[in-house]
Amino acid sequence: MKRGGLQNYIIRRLFYAFLIAFGVVTVTFILLRIGPSSPADKYLANISARTQDPAAVVEAVESRYGLDKPIHEQYFNFLVNMARGDWGWSFSTSLPVIELIQRHWVYSFQLILLSMLFASSLGLLIGIYSAVKQYTKTDYIATFFSFIGISIPNFWLGIMLILVFSVQLGWFKTYYDTGLPMFSLANLKALILPVITLGTGMMAGYTRYARSATLENLRKDFVKTARAKGLPEHVVIGKHVLRNAILPIITIVMFDLAGVVFGGAYLTEIIFGIPGLGRVSFNAIFANDYPVVITITLIGAMVVLLTNLATDIVYTWLDPRIRYD
Amino acid sequence: MKRMSILIIVLVALVTSCAAPEPEVKGTFIDGVSGGDAETLNWLLAADATSHSYAGMCFDSLATYDNDWNVHLRHLAQPVEISDDGLTYTVTIRDDLKWSDGTPVTAEDYVYTLKNLMFSDWLNYAYQTDWQEEVEGEMVFVEVEAVDETTSVIRRQTVDPEFVDNAIYVLTPYPKHIAMKYEGDLEAFTEAEEFNNLTYTGNLGPYRFKEWIRNDKFVVERNPDFYLGQETGAPYFEEYTTKLFGSSAAMLAALEAGDIQNCGIEPEQVAKFKQMEGIKVYTVPTRAYDLVVYNLRNNGWEGLQNKAVRQALSMCIDKQTFVDQIRFGFADPAFSFIPKPSPWYTEEGVTQFGIGDLYDKEAAKEMLLEAGYGIRESDGSITIHDGDGEPIQLTLVTTTGSKLTEDMSLFMKQELGEIGIEVDFKLVPWPTQLRQYMMNKVPGSDEEPNYNNGPDAVSEEPWDMMALAFNTHPIAPSGSRVFFITDGGLNFWGYSNERVDELFLEVRSEKALDPEVRKQMYAEISQLIADDQPANFLSFPSSNQGFQANVEGIDPGMRLGWNHHEWYFSEP
Repeated sequence: MKRGGLQNYIIRRLFYAFLIAFGVVTVTFILLRIGPSSPADKYLANISARTQDPAAVVEAVESRYGLDKPIHEQYFNFLVNMARGDWGWSFSTSLPVIELIQRHWVYSFQLILLSMLFASSLGLLIGIYSAVKQYTKTDYIATFFSFIGISIPNFWLGIMLILVFSVQLGWFKTYYDTGLPMFSLANLKALILPVITLGTGMMAGYTRYARSATLENLRKDFVKTARAKGLPEHVVIGKHVLRNAILPIITIVMFDLAGVVFGGAYLTEIIFGIPGLGRVSFNAIFANDYPVVITITLIGAMVVLLTNLATDIVYTWLDPRIRYD
Repeated sequence: MKRMSILIIVLVALVTSCAAPEPEVKGTFIDGVSGGDAETLNWLLAADATSHSYAGMCFDSLATYDNDWNVHLRHLAQPVEISDDGLTYTVTIRDDLKWSDGTPVTAEDYVYTLKNLMFSDWLNYAYQTDWQEEVEGEMVFVEVEAVDETTSVIRRQTVDPEFVDNAIYVLTPYPKHIAMKYEGDLEAFTEAEEFNNLTYTGNLGPYRFKEWIRNDKFVVERNPDFYLGQETGAPYFEEYTTKLFGSSAAMLAALEAGDIQNCGIEPEQVAKFKQMEGIKVYTVPTRAYDLVVYNLRNNGWEGLQNKAVRQALSMCIDKQTFVDQIRFGFADPAFSFIPKPSPWYTEEGVTQFGIGDLYDKEAAKEMLLEAGYGIRESDGSITIHDGDGEPIQLTLVTTTGSKLTEDMSLFMKQELGEIGIEVDFKLVPWPTQLRQYMMNKVPGSDEEPNYNNGPDAVSEEPWDMMALAFNTHPIAPSGSRVFFITDGGLNFWGYSNERVDELFLEVRSEKALDPEVRKQMYAEISQLIADDQPANFLSFPSSNQGFQANVEGIDPGMRLGWNHHEWYFSEP
């Protein structure tokens, strides 16, 4: 592939990404600001036990956050500040939005990264092994557990793991301890149950995809040729089948990654008390903390766009026949 | 003699070994909470109770109450002196209070906090009206003045016997010398490092701020300089952590596993935890009550404007069954908005619909028949219908995602269904409930929707009943007037009773300076509202708190935690 072709392709995609980011910010801002909610809503819960005039309280709160200004003025100010690198102040957490994200992304990242590694590596291995041993006991067992893995809700699995391994056996703490050093065995141990919870469903899915992609390739002529040439089975599988089978699986893994970043890890974070971006974003939505919601939505959109771009680039590396010029 | 001495020594040894162990400083107390996180430690900007509770770990207010509503002085050196005419309050603080930089806390800090921060236009303090009074039709702030280093005087023009409870006792100062740097600049004040990290709290509270990881935990560490701990050594925990859980199932698992020391237990789980050896469970009353309000405005069912009809409806709802089945027995039937442990609570003369003889569906049908909403059949039975002979259909609005209010609604449907009244649910998100059902305006007018735009205003969407849960300040219930007086800011259901309006005014006047008179006023308010039945008060729920068995010093009651700095571990 021509180097210039790929470069142009990347520049074009990044330009589209910028336009999409602008659209995402605008649409999210408008939807949040024209919606019926107000950050002042939560004050009403306190007013019932105090001596307040609710209208005055709402007015004071909205004025404090600049929400009493015309919506176009709010939008313009928001864009200008954003362009200056000021992504706003999170009024539900009392932190600059960027600092809030910086503090919390790492909890989601480590969980998602380890879960994806766990799910994709085990899923691929089991799926390929299952395909190679098609219609054997091993295949049936793998298939059986894959369906169970796909069917189990994260929430239920997480609670069950806590009850068995934390409450009954006492092997793990019942919740994730943010006080542990990030790069430590203790932290790794603390993440075992959350990773199993988040990764099991994905792993089961990858097992099925890997099995079916491997089976499809095992029937191809080039595999028959490789076998006819007398290549050992592990070379046939590892070099010829796997390389072709992995392409569709990468696409699925990347889509899953985007989905997980967008909030798929939320339930796992809830169960194990992990203060990741999933919890941050959901709490921000309920608090009508629109600077946080917009920023996290934008990050989610960027992750989707950039993972798609990365997937396209990985394709060219895995399959030289793919060109973008 | 020798034998006697030995006997005495043995007895003394036995007695001392049986006594509760002496508190000593050790360990981390982890308090599990299943709910939202605080918004800010800069408490003047906080709307939520959690923010005040976090910040309150690091500084006390002027005074607090125990479970029996006895006042305990905190930053106050002596009780607040109230002049005979009830207009002047002299506040004297302790002389040993210090900010973190060692400068003394003075009366001027309190005065500055009030005048330059809470009363200011630039800060938009949400609860300014706690410090305002109505004079000649205008809301004005009270006057505040520092007399000397530790004494300040607050002057009102009108009497309010609850002012000291509502406003003075809960007051905490900001350090004037720090706050002045930010005065007039809301953005700078909002983002001020000192206030957001509580770096100024000195010896004002039992703990010092250590760490706050949003949506995870709030950690404070023992304050060795705590002004109340100089003689006793309190507080006795090295650290105190408030740990947030996203699900109560995970939180209860943490309590069971011993990973946390305390958390609330859902009613259906109480029996299980009570059987556990390592856990003790306290059932304590709360300041909450749940109720179903009737829409008395023009877009509610017309029958609801008839008191007898409302009474009849309330007579169909079995409160004891509600308490037993929906609240699992952890509640008391309610007949008023004043919670049972309040000194102003009374049942005397308060009509108790839904209990005993006043839970009677047949009598209710007779009342509805008399009001013109039924017909007597040839067999003597009564069929309930509306004025047009059609079955009565009522719309009950409640919030999505609240199991309690959904259960309440189902219970209402079942009970009213038994006398032939159909209840349709409308489950709506809270913002929708606020704006489409609670806010109202006069049809065709240009006014902004509000929670009470007068007797002719109606909500955007019609409704008949609404299942809700409210709170009342037990020591100063007059704040609830926002719901019950004719022009109350949260009287969205359109209730009006002139005598109730008068009494709510009088309860904040010099007539109520005598507590006995005030009690009679609250009794009359309770009686009138119970008789009018603008809402069916269902229950006063209790809260169940589980603790690890080794936590000592707890004083269980409605104000559980009022003495948390005296809690300690009896063993590691």
